[in-house]
Amino acid sequence: MNASKHKSKRVTDPPSWFERPRNINAMIAGLVIVCGLLVVADLFYTNPHPHFDLETSFGFQAWFGFVSFVVIVFLGRILRMIVGRKEDYYDR
Amino acid sequence: MIANLPPGLIMILGALVLPFVARRLQAYGVLALSVISLGLFLITPAGEHGNITLFGMTLNMVRIDSLSRIFGIVFHIAAIVSSIYALHVRDPRQHIAALVYAGGAIGACCAGDLITLFVFWELTALSSVFLIWASDSERSYRSGMRYLIIQVASGVLLLSGAIIHYVQSGSLTFDSFVVEGQPLGLAATLILLALGIKCAFPLLHNWLQDSYPEATATGTVFLSAFTTKLAVYSLIRGFAGLDLLIPIGCAMTLFPIVFAVIENDLRRVLAYSLNNQLGFMVVGVGIGTELAINGTVAHAFCHIIYKSLLFMSMGAVLYRVGTTKATELGGLHKSMPWTTLFCIIGAGAISGFPLLSGFISKSMIISAAAEQHQFWVWIVLLIASAGVMEHSGIKIPFFAFFAHDSGKRVEEAPWNMLTAMAIAAFFCVGLGIAYPLLYRMLPYTVDYHPYTVTHVVTQMQLLLFALLAFVVLMKSGLYPAEQRSTNLDTDWIYRRLLPACIRGLRTVYDVINDAFRSDMVVIVHGIMDFTRATFNENGILGRTWSSSTMTLWATLLLAVCLLLYYL
Repeated sequence: MNASKHKSKRVTDPPSWFERPRNINAMIAGLVIVCGLLVVADLFYTNPHPHFDLETSFGFQAWFGFVSFVVIVFLGRILRMIVGRKEDYYDR
Repeated sequence: MIANLPPGLIMILGALVLPFVARRLQAYGVLALSVISLGLFLITPAGEHGNITLFGMTLNMVRIDSLSRIFGIVFHIAAIVSSIYALHVRDPRQHIAALVYAGGAIGACCAGDLITLFVFWELTALSSVFLIWASDSERSYRSGMRYLIIQVASGVLLLSGAIIHYVQSGSLTFDSFVVEGQPLGLAATLILLALGIKCAFPLLHNWLQDSYPEATATGTVFLSAFTTKLAVYSLIRGFAGLDLLIPIGCAMTLFPIVFAVIENDLRRVLAYSLNNQLGFMVVGVGIGTELAINGTVAHAFCHIIYKSLLFMSMGAVLYRVGTTKATELGGLHKSMPWTTLFCIIGAGAISGFPLLSGFISKSMIISAAAEQHQFWVWIVLLIASAGVMEHSGIKIPFFAFFAHDSGKRVEEAPWNMLTAMAIAAFFCVGLGIAYPLLYRMLPYTVDYHPYTVTHVVTQMQLLLFALLAFVVLMKSGLYPAEQRSTNLDTDWIYRRLLPACIRGLRTVYDVINDAFRSDMVVIVHGIMDFTRATFNENGILGRTWSSSTMTLWATLLLAVCLLLYYL
């Protein structure tokens, strides 16, 4: 085994840039703004080669991405109820 | 002359010399041999070389065309980057295994006939298992055993298919088995099954999630590059345009993403993610148009690099922290900033952010589905893209390097690991920007432009709204918490169900054995006594009969025959 140097020290530092609540909120606000702009951008171009009607509907991939993500996560929660076992399941 | 030797052979032969080199130089030997092999491969002219006749069969050991060339190149790149990543390792087993494994994969993708393919195919299986066993734990030993059995089974199916194909057609050439409007024959079915195992088709997939997370930190990086992509290469060669592959690929893109949501071990998350990415490629092979095949090849090329990068970043975490379980990580961006950065680049590339490699390759496959008006395939691939964002784009970097601070403070990854990750990250960005360089190498002429306004905006919508969904779910506490667990998958069938069935059968056997054995012995003894009494010299059937009795019986028998004749 070559993973021999596990020198991890437990310390409590001051929070890094990514951990300060102010910065986290700013990042989230930035994300919301960019998302808004991306949907608005749909008004300013036309798809030259649409293959399906759905493709050209307003903000399609935006809501589709959001809904897919949520559905996948909730399916995961259901799956965990079915297949989740204790960590040492196969070792017993 | 040199063109007649299979590419990669120098790596395989070099591996035999490696044990006689000083330990600290072995890792550099792997790197040097990989670089030399790449040089030789690049100057090998296109065409068929190395034809030999064996037992009346013509074998074509080296076939370099546009398809094998690009796979050979990316396999070499993967071997070089992975060997830089493993420069600090002082374990001869791993170096030898990795060298033979990479050389075998390169040889296999240049094999022109099924027997040569089979030989290299088995060589990759036999060598790669040592990268799993090198973890030196009971778990890795058992997992490696399961891996080996399944891989060898795949080889046996391939060989059986090849033999049947030879008997039926008299040829061993590895070409397309798909004939328009005809079902697959027995030979083609067996070969498809062999490829299906290696390509981790649904229900045949679980060896991947079972074994890759058990390999060493450096071993998994090698593993992630070769076996499954060799299968994708073979599918393109043998089964392009087989419609059956489209639903199989769709299933492959979907189910692993749900497993990845709840998996705690981040290397296992990456294994599920690998499965999902293979799904995109299998769909591409199934569609089989020029655009789809180009997309599949491009995606395999980009995938090998960004998936290696992700496995390298998690390998660095494993090397420094000793675990890749999400429940025990978090906050590592403070102590491993470079690893964090490279991991995010890999995560962006796999998710398909513009300017990164996944964007210019995955979209070709999705566009190919749209051009064939395969509406549901297109929808499935979009859902799968959002799923990739979930597990590889967000979950991997977020839970390892950010999330709640685990308080663990470790050193940054060693210089060689960082170098390897930097090279891979460079490729991820480079391929995303200088994509014509890649497109030029693809098997068919490319008429595809990834950076259209529509494509960039819609892709960014999909990805950023998925990210927004993650923020909403995290803030509302609906995102499932990381949890130590073992999630059952199909390996449960052969790790629990079958052994339980066999135990059950044994119990039944034991009960029957106990209950009836003595009775049976008495019955058998009875039969033997009876037989002995009847057939010994005093028994009715054993003693000597008088001639008069015999004459009487013979006359009686004749009379019966006579009667029967007239009736």
